[in-house]
Amino acid sequence: MGKVLEAAGVSKRFLGLQALKEVTLHLEEGEILAVIGPNGAGKSTLLNLLSGLIKPDQGRILFLGQDITHLPPEARTHLGLGRAFQIVQPFPELTVRENLLVGALFGKPGTSRKEGEAWVEEVLRLTGLQSRSEALAGDLTLLEDKRLELARALATRPKVLLLDEVMAGLRPKEAEEAVALVKQIRETGVSILFIEHVMPVVRTLADRVVVLDYGEVIAEGTYQEVAQDPRVREAYLGRRA
Amino acid sequence: MKGFGHFPLILLSLVLFALLPFLPFGVWQAFLLDVGFFVLLFTALALSWDLVARTGQLSLAHGAFFGLGAYSAGLLAPQLGTLPALLLGALTAGAGALVLGSVTLRLHGLYFAIASLAFSEVLRTLALKLPFTGGPIGLPVPPPFAGAWPLATYYLSFGVLLLATALSLWAERSPFRLAQAATRQSEAVARVLGVRVVQVKLWSLLLGSLVAGLAGGVYGMKTLFLSPYDAFSLGRAVEALVIPIFGGLYTTLGPLVGGVVLVSLEQALRLWIKEGYLVVYGAILILVILFLPRGLVGILGRRRG
Repeated sequence: MGKVLEAAGVSKRFLGLQALKEVTLHLEEGEILAVIGPNGAGKSTLLNLLSGLIKPDQGRILFLGQDITHLPPEARTHLGLGRAFQIVQPFPELTVRENLLVGALFGKPGTSRKEGEAWVEEVLRLTGLQSRSEALAGDLTLLEDKRLELARALATRPKVLLLDEVMAGLRPKEAEEAVALVKQIRETGVSILFIEHVMPVVRTLADRVVVLDYGEVIAEGTYQEVAQDPRVREAYLGRRA
Repeated sequence: MKGFGHFPLILLSLVLFALLPFLPFGVWQAFLLDVGFFVLLFTALALSWDLVARTGQLSLAHGAFFGLGAYSAGLLAPQLGTLPALLLGALTAGAGALVLGSVTLRLHGLYFAIASLAFSEVLRTLALKLPFTGGPIGLPVPPPFAGAWPLATYYLSFGVLLLATALSLWAERSPFRLAQAATRQSEAVARVLGVRVVQVKLWSLLLGSLVAGLAGGVYGMKTLFLSPYDAFSLGRAVEALVIPIFGGLYTTLGPLVGGVVLVSLEQALRLWIKEGYLVVYGAILILVILFLPRGLVGILGRRRG
């Protein structure tokens, strides 16, 4: 087991707001890592930095030992760093199949149309979207949207997958299905870093948890360890007066 | 991919246009060939606009690409001959597109539209002020092939439409369509899915501008005279975007149908109503946009991609 993804001393400031302050964390090969924290802790900023949508002011990001700090998002995807968004953003005027084809054909340069189409079938099957493959993505239900979001990231054939609150807004039963799906994806050899608000999901899914508060890592460990950490309780429940 | 279902229809209309000069129209012959010329040329321009719009770049620079092609071809034709001049005219427009594209990479939709409008104004000013363009007096252009063949402009125009149609069909049927659609619908998501958004936008703009420049070159050889206000007209850039909206955006059939209907309608109205034909033209446009938000081809019940 080695580090597949690593943030080393990463900082990001938006005008007056220090969104992240010297954050250092890593993801092990084959691991499912949860990043949690109260609202505004910097979780989404972290994910945007890792996937390349924004650039850090300081620090480096390493992927499979390579410094990717200055690579644009598409180049990171080509290397095998996939991402699903929190607010589902399907291409509404394309069908489900076509949405996945975008990831399959462009996620790995040199993918032939035939290979891409075959892989899309595989992803449709894995994510249970076959019956909706010809539906326009704009016509999906929320649950289907979430599946599509995951499926599309998976279609790029990532080695590491970044998931941004993919369970948000799901009912417990639906979240259970989604958890099973994420576990299944891990079984195919994908390492996963996810952001989550729903604590039962974190407990059942995460091998390890990193807690952010005000842009800093305040705790790290198994779910039980961080759940008992007084600093984490304080961050979530408020400081005593 | 999609768009192949309409192929017979597209082919049929192309064959009709190819045969138009040989159909027996009697006294109407010359008029219809003139209308046909403008239908072909502006439909090609509309297709070239749509090709760019598919990436979310709303171009108001198509009048400028048209003018660049027209002036370059017009200036070069006496020395180089018709076809090389047309080719270089298209390449000049392409060079202009690369300049515009590389400074507007981060712009999208309306912001790109404003930048492209500014580009257009700058080029018209250049055409007015540069020493070799004839300035406000204008530039005479020789007819194609030294006037040896009366049907030359018509078939040159037809050739431009063929090229525009072929490019558009290719873009519609290849994975390029997915890259364009993804770029249009969300650049950030497209990039995270591995789409090289910058390349997709630049290539689309380049291909679109080449066709627009070619159309401009042929236009000058038909009118035999260019002035900055005509060649770099904003009205032409608007027509290039009205036709696809009228016919159906992001398709090959939409601009084709839209161009044939709208340009012939404009010419016919001009003939019948003379003064004030634009009022009727405008009213028809508004009605179509209100009641057929997906354009004329929306009636066919096909979705957009």
